This record gives sequence, structure tokens and C-alpha cells, in this order.
Amino acid sequence: MTEIMFALTIGILFGIGVFQLLRRDLIKAAIGFAILFSAINLFFVAAGAFEGNYAPYVSNVEADRQTSDPLVQALILTAIVVSFGSFSLVLGFVNIISRRYDTIDSNEITKLKH
Amino acid sequence: MTVMANNTLLLGTLVTPLIGAIVALIFAKSNRLQRSLAVLTGLVSWVFSIALLVQVHDIGIQTYALGNWAPPYGIILVADNLGALFAFMVTTIMIGGLLYTYHSQDRCMTYPAFVPLFLLMEVGLIGAMLTGDLFTLFVFMELMVLASVSLTAISDDQYGLEAALKYILISSMGTLFLLLGIAAMYATFGTLNMAQIAQILQSGDRSFLAPASAIMLFCAFLLKSAVFPFHFWQPDFHTTAPTPVSAMLSSIVVKVGVYGILRVVTLLFTEEALWIEPWLSVLGIIGILFGSLGALRTYNAKRMLAYSTFAQIGFILVGIGWGGPLALIGAIVYAFNHAFIKSSLLMLIGVVASYTKIKTANFADINGIGHRLPPALGWLVLLGGLSLAGVPPFNGFISKLALIQGGVESGDWRNLIIMVGAGILTLMYMVRAWQRIFQQQPLGSTAETKPVGDSYFAPMMMIIVCLLLGTLLAEPLIQLASVTVEQISDPSLYIAAVYPNGIGQ
Repeated sequence: MTEIMFALTIGILFGIGVFQLLRRDLIKAAIGFAILFSAINLFFVAAGAFEGNYAPYVSNVEADRQTSDPLVQALILTAIVVSFGSFSLVLGFVNIISRRYDTIDSNEITKLKH
Repeated sequence: MTVMANNTLLLGTLVTPLIGAIVALIFAKSNRLQRSLAVLTGLVSWVFSIALLVQVHDIGIQTYALGNWAPPYGIILVADNLGALFAFMVTTIMIGGLLYTYHSQDRCMTYPAFVPLFLLMEVGLIGAMLTGDLFTLFVFMELMVLASVSLTAISDDQYGLEAALKYILISSMGTLFLLLGIAAMYATFGTLNMAQIAQILQSGDRSFLAPASAIMLFCAFLLKSAVFPFHFWQPDFHTTAPTPVSAMLSSIVVKVGVYGILRVVTLLFTEEALWIEPWLSVLGIIGILFGSLGALRTYNAKRMLAYSTFAQIGFILVGIGWGGPLALIGAIVYAFNHAFIKSSLLMLIGVVASYTKIKTANFADINGIGHRLPPALGWLVLLGGLSLAGVPPFNGFISKLALIQGGVESGDWRNLIIMVGAGILTLMYMVRAWQRIFQQQPLGSTAETKPVGDSYFAPMMMIIVCLLLGTLLAEPLIQLASVTVEQISDPSLYIAAVYPNGIGQ
């Protein structure tokens, strides 16, 4: 049951993320980008739980319980830092663009088209 | 568990620019000092990379296990011939870019963050080429993307910000899919060490997710190289970046994708490569046609060179797509030489643009401007253009020759004819651009010029290197490329270097 819920959540997050990323509003696009990253982080969590889903490195693990893979959590930590960095950079760009172009509608930011 | 033979040269090449970036941040007050420091850092890193290349060539694949954690538990840096050659290319071109920065008068280069970001871009590039771990590859690629995006956003060109936003959204999508591919690989193989994955794939244990993650990895690398379906951001981004940055973007940053494709084709997905390679050929041919024709009809000299990069990456991809040993040698030689030609040409056009008041490279504004520039500049642009078109005795000729040999070997005459035709198109647009800038009489619309522009010392040195690569150094380069191809066509060498005692120790 947990697996199905997990798969559904990842799928729905992917859907929302892609939809938001394709919006004309640049802030919504940036948020969609953050949602997509969360979806992938969840996918990583799911990838680590192929043997069991008990937390590793606790002293009172019973012998028959399978722990999850701790490596993916280290990876996710790095991925979160990277995604946060790019997300804040995007938001910073959108901020300056909104002042320079007086709009955050991506259809109107077309000065590169000569 | 034995202690790995760690080679500090690997770490030196990678960490020197990182230390340089941090020290440059400390000296943020003095711009002059920052720039000298950057050139010094570039030189030190270059010395490390050349020593590394010599060692890899003489002794064999070198590794460095970070923190002495043996793989697969720790991150490992691996330099085989391919990685060391590409890292050497990056450090060499980077010296050119740093020298140009040293002499440049652009306003954006006086910002305290410019030099540290530039060096961080170098860290990302070298790291992506020397790492033996897929997740670290993702981190380094993202570092490179963020650094280059920030550099473009602060460009003197007012449209730089728009291009940067466009690129960061597209490229983040690409890195996202790279991350997804990596997650799929981890779910399948339970490791991220490239050597171990290669070992598992070789033993024939292939699950359903393997081809899917192969496709995701390929799409991410194609996006980084600006190949046909993912190319639309590239001309804008490369045109609006500050001159030394755009020279780096168009020459070595696009090569990260080429390196990734070479690595994935030869080391990891050797079986999937059989049906991916024909696609690479098709995408390459589309790139050659669109890039050459786009370069012919564009309105801006820098944009013309950006389109030309699009075409030249197509040549390299067709070489990889043919897949024979001679074709791979051709592709590697082409990738190496193109980096030198394109960076020198972009810097030369940047020098031309720096003489105009508004720093533009629009043909309408720089028509006939050559009469007011140093005469040597015109000759250098012509030499670079001839080199790009593949006229002897330049290195462009050597790389075209090596690639065509590969094509003859594979017997793909239709693509060969298109490539030779595109070579003529290259000659057309380069000579036409040269005539418009340096031969025509200035029109009324030509922009006002300044008496002083950027120094053309750095691109001049690069053009001299191009000449050397076409004559004296051509033989060693092809020799090196053939040794490289010999090495990468046998993945067991790579696996044995990472796991000297076999996997499972």
C-alpha cells in the first residue's frame, strides 16, 4: 500500500511540477521547478527503500527488520542544497527581470527576438 | 582492503581553481589583484593537468579516492586518457579566457564576484571530466551551469539576464533528468560508481530501467551540448555572455556533453549504444545543416559563431555516431581542436566589439569598422576563419581529415558529402563576416568607435596554438587520440584501475 501511495505521490508531483513550469508566469514556473525537484528527491527515497523501510543506525533494530539504504539520504541532502541554490538564483533573476521589464509574463519578455 | 594508490595531481588540477576562487573572494576589494591571481591559478592548474596527462599516458589510469574511502563507499576521481585529455583542454583554454579577462575593460569584470565565478566554472568543468562517480558528475555539472548562468546574467549586454533566465530553466530541466536517470540507475544497480555499474552491465545483468536511464542521461548530455532538439537556448546564451565567458561556453562547456556521451557510449551502455549511435548521427547531421545555414543568415558576428558551434558539435556527434575506432579518434581530435579555434575566434570578435561605443557585434554596426582597428586583428580573424573552415595548415584541417577518415572507414558516403558541403558553407560565412568587418568601406550606420579596445594578446596566442596544432603538434595529438580510443574501447581497463583487487573486496 505504501508503495502505491509513494508512486502516486511522485507521479502527481511530477505532473504539477511540469504543468507549473510551463506556465507563462515566471514565479509559478520557478515554483514548479522546485516541485519537480521534490518529486525527484522522493523518487530517490523510494529507490533507497528496496530492502526495508526502517531507519538505519539505530541501536534497537530487531534482527528480522530490514533497514533502508542510508546513502540515498546523503544524496538527497546534496540534491536539496543544489536545488535550493538554483531555485533562489531563478527567483533572483525573476526579481530583477520584473523590475527591468515591468512584467513577469514570459510572453512579454521577448527582447532577444530581433 | 588495501589503500588505494592516490595520485595528488588529480586533486591538484581540481582543487587549485577552487582555492583560487576562495582567495579571490577574500581579495574582493582589489580587482587588479584578483585578475592576476586568476591567471596564476589557471597556470598552476594547467601545469598540474599537463603533468597528469603525461603520467596517464606513460603509466596508465590514475585514481584518487577522496578521504581514502575505497570505492564504492567513497567518491573516486579517475583520470584515464579521455578524462585527462579533456581536462588538459579545459585548463589550456581557461588560461586564454583568464588572460583576456586580465586585459579586458568590460564593466562586468570589475564586479568582485566575476573572477571567483569564472574559476568555479573551471572547477565544475574539470570535476565533471575527472570524476568516476555519477552523482558527483551531476554536482559538478550543476556547479558549472550555475556559475556560467550567473556570469551571463551580469553581462554588459542588457539582454544577458533574459538569456540567463531562459538557460537556467532549460538547463535545470536537463540536470533534473540527469538526476532522475541517476536515481533510476541507483534503484537498478545499487551503486553510483561508474566502474561498478559498467561491471554489472558487462556481466549481462540488465533490467528494464537500464535503457530508460540511458536515454535520460543522453538527453541531459545532448542538452548541455546544444544538439538539435535541445539547441534553442544556445545562440542567445552564447551571444549575450561577456566575451571571455562566451568563448569558454562555446568551446569547452559544450564539450562536457560530448565527454559525457563518449563516456556513456564506451563505458556504461555499450549495448544500448548500438541503437543510440544511429540517432546521434541523425541529430548531428541536422545540427550541421541548421547550424551552418543559421550562421549564414544571422545579423550578429557573435551569434554567427554560436550557430557555428551548433554545427561543429554536429560534426563531433556524427563521428561518435559512426562508432568505429577511426571515427572516434576523429571525434576526439575534432573536439580538441574546435575548442581552440572557437575560443580564439569569439575572443577576436569580442575585441572588435569592444572598439564600438555600445559594445555590439551586430553586423550593421561593425560594417567596415576594421579600417579603424589594428591591422593585425583582421589577419587574425581571417586565419581563425580559415582554420574553422578546415583549410591547411591549420588544426581545423587536421580534425576534418581525421573525421573524414573515420567516415570512409564506416562507408557512410551520404553523411560524408553533407559534411564536406557544410565545410564549404563554413568557409562562406567566415569569409563573408571577415569581408564585412575588415574589407567593406564603413557605411553611414556604422557605430562610433573608441580609440582603445580590449587587448588581442590572448586570442593571438590561441591562434598560434591553432597553427602549432595544425603543423608540429598534429602528429602527437592524433597519436594521443588513438591511444585514448584504444583505452576507452576496452572498459575492463577502467574497471581494473578503479578496483585493483576486483569488485567485492
